[in-house]
Amino acid sequence: MSYKPSENDLMAYLYGELEGAELEAMEKYLFQHPEARAEMERLYQIRKMLNQVKDKEVIAPPIFVGDTRHRVLWNAPYLKTIISIAASLLIVILVGRFSGMRIQYQQHEVRISFGGDTPANPATTPTSNPAASLSPDDVQAMINASLDNNNETMQSSWKETQEQLDASINRSLALNSSKIDRLLREASVASQDQIRQYVSGMQTENLQLVKSYFKLSSDEQKEYIESLLVDFSKYLQQQRNDDLQLVQSRLNSLEKNTNVFKQETEQILSSIITTVENKNPIGTTN
Amino acid sequence: MVDTLLDIAMMHSDTLVTRAKEGDQSAQGKLVQLWYKRIYNFGYKFFMDHDLAMEVSQKTFISMCKNLPSLQDNARFKSWLYKIAVNYCREEVRKKKGDRSLSFDVVWNRDAEESPKWESAGQRYDNPESQLHRTELADILQDALSELNVEQREVVIMKEYEGLKFREIAEVLNISENTVKSRMYYGLDGLRKILDRKNINKDTIGYEL
Repeated sequence: MSYKPSENDLMAYLYGELEGAELEAMEKYLFQHPEARAEMERLYQIRKMLNQVKDKEVIAPPIFVGDTRHRVLWNAPYLKTIISIAASLLIVILVGRFSGMRIQYQQHEVRISFGGDTPANPATTPTSNPAASLSPDDVQAMINASLDNNNETMQSSWKETQEQLDASINRSLALNSSKIDRLLREASVASQDQIRQYVSGMQTENLQLVKSYFKLSSDEQKEYIESLLVDFSKYLQQQRNDDLQLVQSRLNSLEKNTNVFKQETEQILSSIITTVENKNPIGTTN
Repeated sequence: MVDTLLDIAMMHSDTLVTRAKEGDQSAQGKLVQLWYKRIYNFGYKFFMDHDLAMEVSQKTFISMCKNLPSLQDNARFKSWLYKIAVNYCREEVRKKKGDRSLSFDVVWNRDAEESPKWESAGQRYDNPESQLHRTELADILQDALSELNVEQREVVIMKEYEGLKFREIAEVLNISENTVKSRMYYGLDGLRKILDRKNINKDTIGYEL
């Protein structure tokens, strides 16, 4: 038997999660191996001891039941801060309202007062009291008069400045237009002269250009033709020399041939002569 | 492990989950009532602290009510719920690690550790002596549990006390089933060593088991 259960198999067996062939093999192994049985027994003892710890009784608090969505909304941090700011503002406003607090800024002084709102007015009126003898109508009339005055002076000064402005504008316009005219005329005259000069310059330049071009090209042609002629004459000379040499060699060979021919005929003749001479004496003798 | 009406109700809470998912607030309330004790006890065993357990379970159920519509498979409700609880427990552990100061309660309790806890003892045992033994043993076991590291503690509590299958625990912790089993093995082994050190074993308390 080579079966040896692993720790994992032991655990599975200990908690009754081993099945089928594995369970059989394990039981067989435990039966055959007392030390494994003892180990299993020790594990059982631990389990037994652990089972001495009983569950604690507890009552589920009811806070969760259906409460979750509200909690989420109210737990949103920005909502809390906004509401707290709004509440503190409301408190400040209410306190101000009930204590009758007033804050005034008038004639370079800040005035904070509590209680009734009437004392504020009497406090300011005494400062302007010296003119109290005037009636409201008088004051109104004075105001109107000063306003009219003001308006008139304003209008007159405005008109004056307007006129001055118009005059200066006209002057400057006239000045400028005359200047511009002059400038334009000068410019046009100058431009005619310039064009003439330019055109004549162009013409002379063109003339020179054409002249020099013709000169250049004729020179080049001359040179070319000269070189061509020289080349041709050289060629002709060469050709003649070659021909002459050829004729010379031909003549030489002809001469040689005739010499050889001469010798041959001489030899033939001499041989004929000798043979004839030899035969004749014999013939004659015979 | 089906032994009470509550357990039976928990086994058949599928329709309740469906209704709660659709926004039925009374169904949500019933789910909370059904599962609160389990989650609280999980938290209590994890921290050995009533306040932390209450906090974790409240957070868990608030999160449950909020996120229930995102649960796709009703059959996985249980492991889904424990997953939320485990995450909040881990969050508290992290907070505790960051917080270096000791609360007054902890210091005080350490001094009073030897004194018998008359007040917290249950009322259901007839014999006062055995009652004392039992509560003391439970406390020692709790201490031993809290000496385990967080990973082993989660697995041991979920397996031994919450009765989750290894497959379900693997789902909760998002790890493989084999890792769960191995953590369980080393958790039990660690507990045995801790209890041996405290001289608690079959022989010393055998007459009680």
